[in-house]
Amino acid sequence: MARRFRRTRRGITAGLEPEEAGLLADLLAEVAQMLRSQEAATGPSDEVASDAEEDPLAALARDLEGGDGRVPDDPALARLLPPGSRDDDEAAADFRRFAQRGIAARKRSALERAVATLRRPAPLLLDDDEARAWLTALTDVRLVLAQRLGLETDDDAALVALRAAQAAEDDPAAHAAALYDFLTWLQEGLADVLLRDLPAGGGPARR
Amino acid sequence: MGPVSARLTASSPAAPAWRATAAPAEAEAPAAAEEVATQRPWVTIVWNDPVNLMSYVTYVFQSYFGYSRAKAEELMHDVHEAGRAVVSTGSLEEMERDVEAMHGFGLWATFSHDT
Repeated sequence: MARRFRRTRRGITAGLEPEEAGLLADLLAEVAQMLRSQEAATGPSDEVASDAEEDPLAALARDLEGGDGRVPDDPALARLLPPGSRDDDEAAADFRRFAQRGIAARKRSALERAVATLRRPAPLLLDDDEARAWLTALTDVRLVLAQRLGLETDDDAALVALRAAQAAEDDPAAHAAALYDFLTWLQEGLADVLLRDLPAGGGPARR
Repeated sequence: MGPVSARLTASSPAAPAWRATAAPAEAEAPAAAEEVATQRPWVTIVWNDPVNLMSYVTYVFQSYFGYSRAKAEELMHDVHEAGRAVVSTGSLEEMERDVEAMHGFGLWATFSHDT
């Protein structure tokens, strides 16, 4: 069984079992792939999507056409890339057009960075940047799992926890609930570690 | 989680235009604060969701906005209990940047007129 994230002199660590690390890497990679599909589907259809190789003029032309302003069809992706306005559809569409691609790319980058740390020899040891990438990556995986579990209210969250506690071997939904519960527990530990680093009186904004 | 398709729906065109309303010009000294408020009529709202953890939301408010623990926790409780909280105020451009950052953290945030 995994041990909670904690800070040591060498970095931030969590004692993950090999099968837990493998499972986490798969989940993180799967959500990264969802975002990659979104980025690819957003670009022109005859173009191979690659941030590094994309012609800046082609990117500009696409931005001007509003090619990045599409609402993801998959509800889980739509939760990762939500509208920027609830009361102004045009403003929301405009926000998607200029912001969505960047948000998706940064999320994917954090997810891939977390996967890369799991590919290193155990034990997992994170520097602060990697820990921050892990924290947002765990959020995104939990958001996707929550959508798949139909978790929409705080009461639903309590039910998922209950279901996870009663997980039976042959119940796939209970398995997903247990997985969600594990990720929640893992993220709670990491959030506590990083929260402890912040000055209680406030500090410089990162905005 | 099964394989996921990413079919897209069509987007809607046209960028929004907004105008700042003129500041009331009558009063003098107390008008300074009002003037700032009128020049900066946008807010960033964070909405409650059942996924994001209380400690994580506090961490986001503290680390991104530079708020104190007390202020970050107060905002977090507002989100959790009232369903939403105004976390920042400023120009539309500033609020769009804050909303973009909140989405990056996985929080659902929107920008809106401060009415």
